[in-house]
Amino acid sequence: MDILISSIAAGVLIGMVLALVALGLTIIFGVMDIVNFAHGEFLMIGMYTGLLTAKAVGIDPLLALPVAAAVGFLLGVICYYGFVKFLLRGPMVAQLLGTFGLMLFLRNLALLIFGSEDRALHHGLLVGKSFDLGMGVIIPATKLAAAGLSVIAFLAVWLLMNRTKLGKALTATSLNSQAARYMGIATERMNALAWGIGGGSVTVAGALIVNFWSVNPFVGLLFTMIAFAIVALGGFGSVPGALFASIVVGLIMEIPGIWDFLTYTLSWDWMINVPMTSFKYTFVYLAYFIIMVIRPSGLFGWKH
Amino acid sequence: MKGKGRLLIVFLGLIAISGLLIPSGAWAVKEIKIGVIFPLTGGAAAAGRELRAGTELAAEIANKVYPDLPMAMAQNAGIKSLGGAKIKLIFKDHEGNPTLGADLAKKLILDDKVDGIMGCYFSSVTKTVSSVCEQYGVPMINTSSTSPALTKRGFKWFWRTTPHDKWFTKDLFEFLNGLTDGKVRGVKAVAKKEITNIASACEKTEWGSHVSQLIAQLAKEYGFRVRKSILYAAKSTDLSSEVRSLKAARPDVMLFASYTSDAILMVKTLKAQRAHPKIIWGQDAGFEKPEFRKTLGDNIVGILTRTVFLPKVVEIKKLAGLVNAMYKEKTGNDLGGASARAFTGLQTWVYLLEKAGSTKPADIQRAANTIYIPGKELVVPWKGIKFSTSGDEIGQNTLGSGLIGQYQKQKDGTVGLEIVYPFDVSSADMIYPFPGY
Repeated sequence: MDILISSIAAGVLIGMVLALVALGLTIIFGVMDIVNFAHGEFLMIGMYTGLLTAKAVGIDPLLALPVAAAVGFLLGVICYYGFVKFLLRGPMVAQLLGTFGLMLFLRNLALLIFGSEDRALHHGLLVGKSFDLGMGVIIPATKLAAAGLSVIAFLAVWLLMNRTKLGKALTATSLNSQAARYMGIATERMNALAWGIGGGSVTVAGALIVNFWSVNPFVGLLFTMIAFAIVALGGFGSVPGALFASIVVGLIMEIPGIWDFLTYTLSWDWMINVPMTSFKYTFVYLAYFIIMVIRPSGLFGWKH
Repeated sequence: MKGKGRLLIVFLGLIAISGLLIPSGAWAVKEIKIGVIFPLTGGAAAAGRELRAGTELAAEIANKVYPDLPMAMAQNAGIKSLGGAKIKLIFKDHEGNPTLGADLAKKLILDDKVDGIMGCYFSSVTKTVSSVCEQYGVPMINTSSTSPALTKRGFKWFWRTTPHDKWFTKDLFEFLNGLTDGKVRGVKAVAKKEITNIASACEKTEWGSHVSQLIAQLAKEYGFRVRKSILYAAKSTDLSSEVRSLKAARPDVMLFASYTSDAILMVKTLKAQRAHPKIIWGQDAGFEKPEFRKTLGDNIVGILTRTVFLPKVVEIKKLAGLVNAMYKEKTGNDLGGASARAFTGLQTWVYLLEKAGSTKPADIQRAANTIYIPGKELVVPWKGIKFSTSGDEIGQNTLGSGLIGQYQKQKDGTVGLEIVYPFDVSSADMIYPFPGY
């Protein structure tokens, strides 16, 4: 039973962190109808920011979150004004290829600056610590903290979007940017803000993830793919959908754990040697594929 | 001016003709050229530096007289049976690239006219270079590539001094058996049922997946039970589901074949998940690298790793201590697995040439197939060097062996490796069971 509980707990916790990863992608898409292929690279930059700030200043990596948020926000805004704004004049294909190019640029820039080797945090307030819930259920402290802080950041963004005038302006822009402009909303600034919030939330997620994952310049692609799967499942543009889908995706990633539970509960030896851990992301992509075929707008999607 | 130019051409022409008429050997001191192909730049450059220094030291000892060193090659200057001919090393850098390695081998054979080749550390490069040597009939000695497949090709010009992964994995099971027989220093006999369940996680390239297969095969032979075997990508940035899956198998023994960053991540995740098997063992590579020790510090106390040479060997083998002192003076470091094996590789070349008394490939081949170098001549703790000439491992040294070390806290507070296998050379009491996290 401990195998099952551990796996479900791990799935829910990582799902909460992934929610923050997917949030930025869904906001940018919701407001501007642009799919940001460089989203994973923003996360990679967040990971490096958290890691290097903690090492350079000598503070706990969790305290580096505000720095990561600021870097992400600025990066988002700079990308918008320096690049994306011009892409909007072109056809949809130009926007797709443009953010794809941005992804390649950021990845290779990181390769140039940081090199290709893996880097990881080895010291920190919570690094390597865990809570024993009894019956063999172990919850790593870094993942618990990352999940908690992710939910707080997620709620903060959700409140900003739904309870403030700024959020209403953003929502108005996403619903009909032309009408919003007629109403006096500075839509260009709203677009930049969407990129800023999107960038900030994903870099914060990166700075949280670096507490238990190692980082290299290629790590972004995996997260881009996972974020796409989440956003497709939850519905493009839907913030609550992203939260729900993230937890579903987190649990899908734990299918190998559930398999192990069944293997040892049923004592079926043939199940032992099925290499389920090698396929943990395959199940996520399979879910992505199925949802795109059955319900292209996702579970909570409203943008078509 | 025109006349002077003509005179110069005639003069140069005469020099060229005289060069053709007089054999070069009449001028040059007789020397034996060995082409040495190692990864001197790129990701394995640090290992390449060690390999080069070990090879150079062996050549230095072979070329001069060191009466205090109790080894035959230190008693003569050069190769005695070849009139004191000196060893000349020609180093080439394969950058970890098998194609480049093959090109370099061709250049060494055709342009530099080497008498033999040594290398290449990477099994993949050794594979292509040895094929070139086989094609041209040039003898090659391999010192540190451990893929078992290399000596399964029936090559006539390829000899390997180092034991390979099958031997190392066999050592592990011999060690586990020894544990149940009470042979391990400081540990009372352990009931077999206490350590019967095994789980392994190996990186999934040729090396790791092969080690995984060997573990499964040998576990069966030795009567152990593999409860789980996982293959993972060495570039993984998260191994938590792999570790959870390993833990779910409730293994007594956890076995790993990992490179550096994944070995560190694996141990960190084991700690975060509070894994508590009785034994954790790594198949060298990442588990023996200095970064592993530096990064994880006290967290690795109790972890075992296979290796071929440990600084502790110098305490139990006088010759290793003397050579280590020379190596340390030259490089500032102690001999390690790579440098000690490279030293032994070139030493084997010297003994082969001495026995052959000729540089003709056929004579060297005959010498290699009949040579026996006793263990007391070597810095590595092997029984000796004797190459297999029949069966399915032609060219493999049959007298090599590995060591198993355990990370333990040293008197100075640092964490270092102590020998726990072979049992007769163990340098400390083993920590059993693994303390857990």
